[in-house]
Amino acid sequence: MTQADWMWAEPKEKLVDWLGQMWTVRWFDEKVDEFFAKGMIHGTTHLCVGQEASAVGVCAMLEDKDKITSTHRGHGHCIAKGADPDRMMAELFGRETGYCKGKGGSMHIADVEKGNLGANGIVGGGIPLAVGAALTSKMRQEGYITVCFFGDGAANEGSFHEAVNLAAIWDLPVIFVCENNQYGMSGPVKDMVKIENIADRAAGYGIPGHVVDGNNLPEVMTVMKEAVEYTRNGSGPVLIEAKTYRWKGHSKSDAKKYRTREEEKEWKDKDPIRFFQDALIERGIITAEEAETVKKDTKARIERSVEFAEQSPEPSKDTLLEDVYA
Amino acid sequence: MAKEVFMPKLSSTMETGTLLQWFKQEGDPVEVGEPLLEVMTDKINIEVEAYEEGVLLKRYYDEDEEVPVNGIVGYIGEEGEEVPEERPGAESKSEPESVPETPAPKAEEQTAGTEKDGGVRATPAARRLSRDSGVELSLVEGSGARGRIHAADVHAAADKQQTRSTPLAKKEAEANNVDLSAVKGSGSYGKITRADVTSPPVEKELQSEPLQGVRKVVAERMQQSAGEVPHVTLHTEIDMEAAMELRTQLLPVIEKQTGQRLSVTELLIFVGSRALKKHPDVHASMADNRVTKQSSVHMGVAVATDRGLLVPVIRHTEAKGLAELVTETKQTAAAARNGSLPGKELSGSTFTISNLGMYAVDHFTPIINQPEAAILGVGRMQEKPVVINGEIVVRRMMGVSLSFDHRIIDGAPAAAFLTDFKQMLEQPYQLFV
Amino acid sequence: MQSSAVNSSNNKETTRSITFAEAVREALSQEMREDQDVFILGEDIGVYGGAFGVTRGMIEEFGPERIRNTPISEAAITGAAIGSALTGMKPVVELQFSDFITIAMDQLANQAAKLRYMYGGKGNVPMVLRTPSGSGTGAAAQHSQSLEAWVAHVPGLKVVQPSTASDAKGLLKAAIADPNPVIFYEHKLLYKTEEHVPEAAYTIPLGEADVKREGTDVTIVATAVMVHKALEAAEKLAEEGIDVEVIDPRTLVPLDEQTIVDSVKKTGKVIVVHEAVKRGGYGGEIASMIAESEAFDYLDAPVRRLGALPIPVPYNPALERAMVPQVDDIMQVARDSVHRR
Repeated sequence: MTQADWMWAEPKEKLVDWLGQMWTVRWFDEKVDEFFAKGMIHGTTHLCVGQEASAVGVCAMLEDKDKITSTHRGHGHCIAKGADPDRMMAELFGRETGYCKGKGGSMHIADVEKGNLGANGIVGGGIPLAVGAALTSKMRQEGYITVCFFGDGAANEGSFHEAVNLAAIWDLPVIFVCENNQYGMSGPVKDMVKIENIADRAAGYGIPGHVVDGNNLPEVMTVMKEAVEYTRNGSGPVLIEAKTYRWKGHSKSDAKKYRTREEEKEWKDKDPIRFFQDALIERGIITAEEAETVKKDTKARIERSVEFAEQSPEPSKDTLLEDVYA
Repeated sequence: MAKEVFMPKLSSTMETGTLLQWFKQEGDPVEVGEPLLEVMTDKINIEVEAYEEGVLLKRYYDEDEEVPVNGIVGYIGEEGEEVPEERPGAESKSEPESVPETPAPKAEEQTAGTEKDGGVRATPAARRLSRDSGVELSLVEGSGARGRIHAADVHAAADKQQTRSTPLAKKEAEANNVDLSAVKGSGSYGKITRADVTSPPVEKELQSEPLQGVRKVVAERMQQSAGEVPHVTLHTEIDMEAAMELRTQLLPVIEKQTGQRLSVTELLIFVGSRALKKHPDVHASMADNRVTKQSSVHMGVAVATDRGLLVPVIRHTEAKGLAELVTETKQTAAAARNGSLPGKELSGSTFTISNLGMYAVDHFTPIINQPEAAILGVGRMQEKPVVINGEIVVRRMMGVSLSFDHRIIDGAPAAAFLTDFKQMLEQPYQLFV
Repeated sequence: MQSSAVNSSNNKETTRSITFAEAVREALSQEMREDQDVFILGEDIGVYGGAFGVTRGMIEEFGPERIRNTPISEAAITGAAIGSALTGMKPVVELQFSDFITIAMDQLANQAAKLRYMYGGKGNVPMVLRTPSGSGTGAAAQHSQSLEAWVAHVPGLKVVQPSTASDAKGLLKAAIADPNPVIFYEHKLLYKTEEHVPEAAYTIPLGEADVKREGTDVTIVATAVMVHKALEAAEKLAEEGIDVEVIDPRTLVPLDEQTIVDSVKKTGKVIVVHEAVKRGGYGGEIASMIAESEAFDYLDAPVRRLGALPIPVPYNPALERAMVPQVDDIMQVARDSVHRR
């Protein structure tokens, strides 16, 4: 893991912040899981517990002006791109103070000012949008890059093929990040694609492709760092595949009959947060007590988000017709 | 302060109403004028609207339950307001007449609106023109597909209505330079006749006034009976010679005793009451799909008054002699005419006699005074040539007609009653048997 | 002014006359000169000039950066336009045939139409998707449809359907300036129609119908190529003493309801004509709008609709013609309305 050595030289605050971000993502989705179980949140939601390193690792390598498009499993991307958990939680509660004024919910959180062009409820639906955002950057020479998150399932959508090809022929500044969490709903990726790695498809578009351990934050960051440099200087798109695992079911009411508890345990042993935290302690960057504090503080942070959401007003029916047209 | 929702009194004869359905759940917001519940009375189904705005706090009755008039069926108020848990008694309301009167005219408006032009095929434009011009669609011939009335048809009808005139009137108008469109026709369908042109009548604004008082009650009851009851009317003529002879003999006796003159009406009441006792089928009433055979005869006697038709009731007529009947009948009729008759003496009859014999009426088909099973209509008495034992003789004949409710009785028992009645009058000595 | 623009070839000597396709090109070019954020992307729009030649010559003036020739990827073209619009550009997509909107439909219906609302009012999608529609070219079932009702049904999209060159020019300028996604239909048979079109840039606001012919006896609401058929029918019916009013809504969303309602109140009779299949077509929307409006009480004949038969567009020219309403059909229905049949 020598390539990741650069990372350990980063200032302690940064390293602790990344750990904190991963915990924030985890606590957020754990809380959402709990509320769903209690019936306090309606609709549906898709949790990214176990996938924190890819969200945080990718976004940590971006500048503020850079943009992302996200997916239905997007809470982690949002938080990592700087979203306020208060307003995210309020959105899940359907409140007026939510990112979408209570009209979007879990699958449509967007934070355009922070460069988050939005989560997407259509599998693969956001991939062409990311290409379009990259096109703007190129045509206006704005210098930002766009990260397009998508899952292993979306890699089989036509929009993936069309959009990656378009970005490739126009050398657009976009990084396609495939979070391969092994299942498209219940469909195991090994049954749904014939090749070993989705990143191998990059060759078909004439762009670089990288496979990375999505649960290993330093590795994700290292690959991403290189991709950002490559893309930002005008060389065109990159495809990164981060192999990871979602601990929870696809959405609520998923009995997870398509996989074994042994397999789940195997992946839980590769917990991205514990991996990074142990490394920080091992290297003497933080103490075990400090690590515990980060864990507790981030949990408390999410509790405050819940309070904020619960105390926020419901949207007025008067807003029903607002924002259909600009 | 929560406001009660009452079972409104939707007609003069309504005592209870059946709650057909609620349009609001407990807790629903309610606006003034919004339909709240549907009620079935003995006449109609009607939607009852809210008089208050707020939240429907309570419903005391379920659908299909019968509710007395003025009974509190629920409360409207502000959310969280306290209202009685139990159904309050109907009598707790101090001024029962004030609230329920209001919705009744509304119901009549609605009925009137739907019946008018209901079955006519007409375009929306034709209907609008009909409303605006007052041309009744039912009198307009439609030129469209399958007789559909179009705007042009209404225009044509309106024009026609305005200037329909006889040829003579037209000639006269031309001669005298009279604008026919300014002349109001007095002929059929407003046709202008010569007389209208020569002496144009003073244009007089026609007055209309709402149905009210006795007129309204009569209107409602007649409409209800005529609409609800399958009427069959039997006619016969009665040879009144014997009865009139009896009357001549009894006249001084009764006059001496009561100071009043015995009239044919009292004779008919007397005889009719006894005939009814012999025919319990005819002496019956029906309410709520239940037929009740009456015991005592309470005879309703139709009386024309300035305010409209009233039917005062003479009670236990089967047990009363003619003198007593004369006194009571004259008294109640007079009281009915001058309006001093107490309301209770206008209800509770078990059979009704309507006598138009003082007019040039031979026969008429009376409308049953519900809930009674039958009514007797009496025409004038006239000397007529009749054949008796092969000889033409002149007799005083009187036309009578019996309308009966075919739901309660069939033709044969009704005819049997009428036959007995006729015989009793033609052979009054039978009454002593 | 717009009504006089129809059939104005007699003005040729005094005023400039150009085709519908040229008018669209002129609007595009004027907007691109005016605003650097406006660019076009689509299949074969470069040196080829687009399937119907609308963008011919534009790549020479604006270069391949702004006249972006794309692979055959309708979803990606449309999606990229949406993404670029969301980030500040004003893309104009050319979709080669409106039938191909099926392939771009997720991007239009689920993305473009909804992003702003889903995101609580954050972000605009100021894009235009131009696309040739309609039958009459013998191109058969997959290249001849009129699917405008599909997009008109989706809240968040605007839908424009011009019938004349001068309308097309003014409406396209308005569509490009609009901060919302606009689907702009160009009927193939109209591309070569010619009329006077002012040279200077001008705007015709979206949501304003045009009375193409004034009349008193019956209103015909017609779209695209049917406007011309309705006008032809009107001229012939005038000889029979029937005075027809022809209204072109020009935009389906937003719809200028008032102009239609006012006309129906005047004539009392209305026929809605479009080339799209009658069943589920936008004519049903217009007809019910009229029935629900204050014009109802003025209706003196049933509201009539004319649209295509519910069949795929056939290849044989005679069959193709028989599928969609023709001048004679319009005349017959107008007679029925006026003569109360």
